[in-house]
Amino acid sequence: MAERCAVVGIGQTKHAKVREDLSMAGLVREAALRALEDAEMTFADIDAVVVGKAPDPFEGVMMPELYLADALGGAGKPVMRVHTAGSVGGSTAVLATHLVQSGQFERVLTVAFEKQSEGDTTWGLGGGRSGSVGAGGYFAPHIRAYIERSNAPEHIGWMVAVKDRKNALKNPYAHLHMENLTLEMVRDSPMVWEPVRRFESCPTSDGAAAMVLGSERVGDASSTPVAWVHATAVRSELGQFPGRDPVSPRGGHDCAADVYKQAGISDPIRDVDVLECYVPFSWYEPMWMENLGYAVEGTGWKLTEDGETDFGGSIPTNVSGGVLSSNPIGASGMLRFLEAALQVRGMAGEHQVDGARTAVGHAYGGAAQFFAMWVVRDTKP
Amino acid sequence: MSDQTQTDTGLPGKFMQQMVSLDYRVLASPLQQRFDAGMRAGRITGHKCPVCSRVYVPPKGYCPLDTVATTEEHEVDVGDEGIVTSFTVLTPIQYRGQRERQPYALASLLLDGASSTVGQQRIAGPIEDVRTGMRVRAAWKPEAERTAEVSAMAQWGIGKAIEHWEPTGDPDAARDHYAEHIL
Amino acid sequence: MRDVAVVAFAQSPSRPEVETTETQMLFPIITEAIEQSGIERRDIGFWVSGSCDYLAGAPFAFVSNLEATGAWPPIPESHVEMDGAWALYEAYTRLQHGDVDTALVFCSGLSSRSDLRETLAVQLDPYYLMPLWPDHISLAALQARAFLDHNGATERDMAEVAARSLRSAKDNPNAQVSGDHTAEELLGADYLVEPLRPHDCPPVSDAAAAVVLAVGDRARAVCSRPAWIRGIDTRTDPHSPGVRDLAVSPSTRLAGEKAGVHSGPVEVAELAAPFTHQELIVREALGLGDDVEINPSGGALAANPIMVSGLIRIGEAFRQINERGRNRVIAHATSGPCLQQNLVCVLEGE
Repeated sequence: MAERCAVVGIGQTKHAKVREDLSMAGLVREAALRALEDAEMTFADIDAVVVGKAPDPFEGVMMPELYLADALGGAGKPVMRVHTAGSVGGSTAVLATHLVQSGQFERVLTVAFEKQSEGDTTWGLGGGRSGSVGAGGYFAPHIRAYIERSNAPEHIGWMVAVKDRKNALKNPYAHLHMENLTLEMVRDSPMVWEPVRRFESCPTSDGAAAMVLGSERVGDASSTPVAWVHATAVRSELGQFPGRDPVSPRGGHDCAADVYKQAGISDPIRDVDVLECYVPFSWYEPMWMENLGYAVEGTGWKLTEDGETDFGGSIPTNVSGGVLSSNPIGASGMLRFLEAALQVRGMAGEHQVDGARTAVGHAYGGAAQFFAMWVVRDTKP
Repeated sequence: MSDQTQTDTGLPGKFMQQMVSLDYRVLASPLQQRFDAGMRAGRITGHKCPVCSRVYVPPKGYCPLDTVATTEEHEVDVGDEGIVTSFTVLTPIQYRGQRERQPYALASLLLDGASSTVGQQRIAGPIEDVRTGMRVRAAWKPEAERTAEVSAMAQWGIGKAIEHWEPTGDPDAARDHYAEHIL
Repeated sequence: MRDVAVVAFAQSPSRPEVETTETQMLFPIITEAIEQSGIERRDIGFWVSGSCDYLAGAPFAFVSNLEATGAWPPIPESHVEMDGAWALYEAYTRLQHGDVDTALVFCSGLSSRSDLRETLAVQLDPYYLMPLWPDHISLAALQARAFLDHNGATERDMAEVAARSLRSAKDNPNAQVSGDHTAEELLGADYLVEPLRPHDCPPVSDAAAAVVLAVGDRARAVCSRPAWIRGIDTRTDPHSPGVRDLAVSPSTRLAGEKAGVHSGPVEVAELAAPFTHQELIVREALGLGDDVEINPSGGALAANPIMVSGLIRIGEAFRQINERGRNRVIAHATSGPCLQQNLVCVLEGE
């Protein structure tokens, strides 16, 4: 039987377009020090460090965990670096969890980051060549296909954009704090990758996320509430092949089914109190609602339209502001995971969902082909 | 760092631009070379999997679903006409190295005889006419101008032998014909 | 801890330049490892790989390699931007969970596509070190000088390491360079970067490798003589070559202790040190005496596919146990400038 794993410390940077006040080392330390402080620990207490980030060319540093080992107190310790494209923040947390659950280490620091201002993300997302369509250009046809299949009205995408930016105002760490964003403003923003408009798209951010994960003993000794990890899973599927459904990828569905089974979740809408899922373009909210089992195929957009994905709804989603409000790509997956943990610890401040006891974190990447998820609760598994 | 992120905050310790330039040799694999030779001769080829009979264009040298290798003996020709299965219209972001300036339509195409789609193909003509199901035909470059496309990663596009794709004017393909090939 | 063993190993021959794509190179190796293991592809419980975008010259390069796994239906899979030895470490950790009994680890790298003396400079602190463009050979040379001054070892000792490695490599069809040379002969060459001569440095190699891991009785059922992982650990030293003593490798020493290198006699050691002086540093750090056979495969001096060299050491250690009847073999992997990060794995026959 695996050892239990608790989230005992959480930290993140103030995400911004350009963190000109910090080097990469400074960026990761801002998040790591906050997580350590929350955990009432110092670097000396940590047994292992797991770093995650998206492609190295985004910043121009090959294998940055080597350079960052010093900044993260890694000398004398195992240091690992995970890279699974956009889902990396999540899969990094999954490895860190397993290092504790295996009994190998009692206290693991895990950090995910991206300092996009030090490189050129669009160039990087395009494989480093001209004519790159960028991430939005890749996903836009899938979004169109979803809209055609489901007959969803066009304002759904605008609604998600407005909701997530409104909720980001309650999250002091979020990059975008767009006061008074309206549906009309989203509707009238320039089209970037038809049918995706600028205000329906995520920003490009500098930011880092960190967690301290501990064994059961460490979790029990914590003076603040902890989040207990009830389930973790990752799935990958081929990005392109005849017959593939990129709109509701089976990998996402299977990953969700795996964590729900581990966590004893049989009716996601009923059993899950908060969902933090990776929505970089607003239409991905209704798409993931269906893919992750919160809505039957073709109806995910109704959850959005009926306000079910906002505070007070049946499945508050991305109440942190989500990826639409902060997207340091390597960190975004871990932000989803740690926001879920903050919720069940009751420590999400202004964006706390009352009575949140079961929360799900989700991240995806590549051609919507890499998935990582976890389920956390305020009680032990 | 792009022009979009250049800052002059007036604070000490501003950013300095450092251009990091590395040179990579991109080799055309034997498989790629053979495909390119076909393209220069006006032929689009694929490999047909001996197990499932799916035709991959351009050929990969294996079927990723059956995990079997494929070789020249599995080579087949596919048509230079096909269906738009998905598309987007791009307003090009002006990052360093970007050569595109005006909005343009890129589509995934299911060529006649192929099972896999070819991605990111330019569609000529009014952008507002581009739609899924539309039938298009390759506009080949003059033979002397056809150059190889060498890709370091899994195939992107099918080379520079084709200028762009033009609507044929034929009736659109029925949805269920390409529903399995949106990508 | 659950007992995890290596039950299969496949590698492509290391070559100065492979003309296929990385994925095409990897494809048959994964298939070979699976066939060797006797485990059905669909039954593999976890997949994990190691590779590096900067080596390939493309962000997201690892994504193409997924096609070599046949990831349909979707598979539980992860990737580290590190040598395959660290991917194996992740797989070992994953197998402790208890819900799956098998894992496949793979890795690949085409070092030939760029000038490593430029590319590896990007593996350094971007503010203080990289702008100076210190190439990995010059950094290794600084370390070699520190080592020679500290230890009393000589350039001849380094040449002996090279001569032995190349001689052993003659029996390894997967090695890239091999031959009979005396230390005297090798010392006759001009310095590349003093005190390093060409023989002190690794070849540039393209290759792929894969290992299958299985737990307990599953391993016994599929493999006649599995190589049991009795200990595995990885440690890191500070990054900058300027803030540490380059003549010693504390992270190797610590990883060796944690992995339990000396809880039994060591018969063979496969060490991934790509420079001759580094082999001597690693041997000292691991306390390996003259009675230990070092690098029967030829080691990283005979073939050095970056991102793969470490996993090959573990694979070769498996072969020593599985094919040559050895009982206790250690494998070592390294990453970063001047042995910054190290992994040690202790394998035993039953």
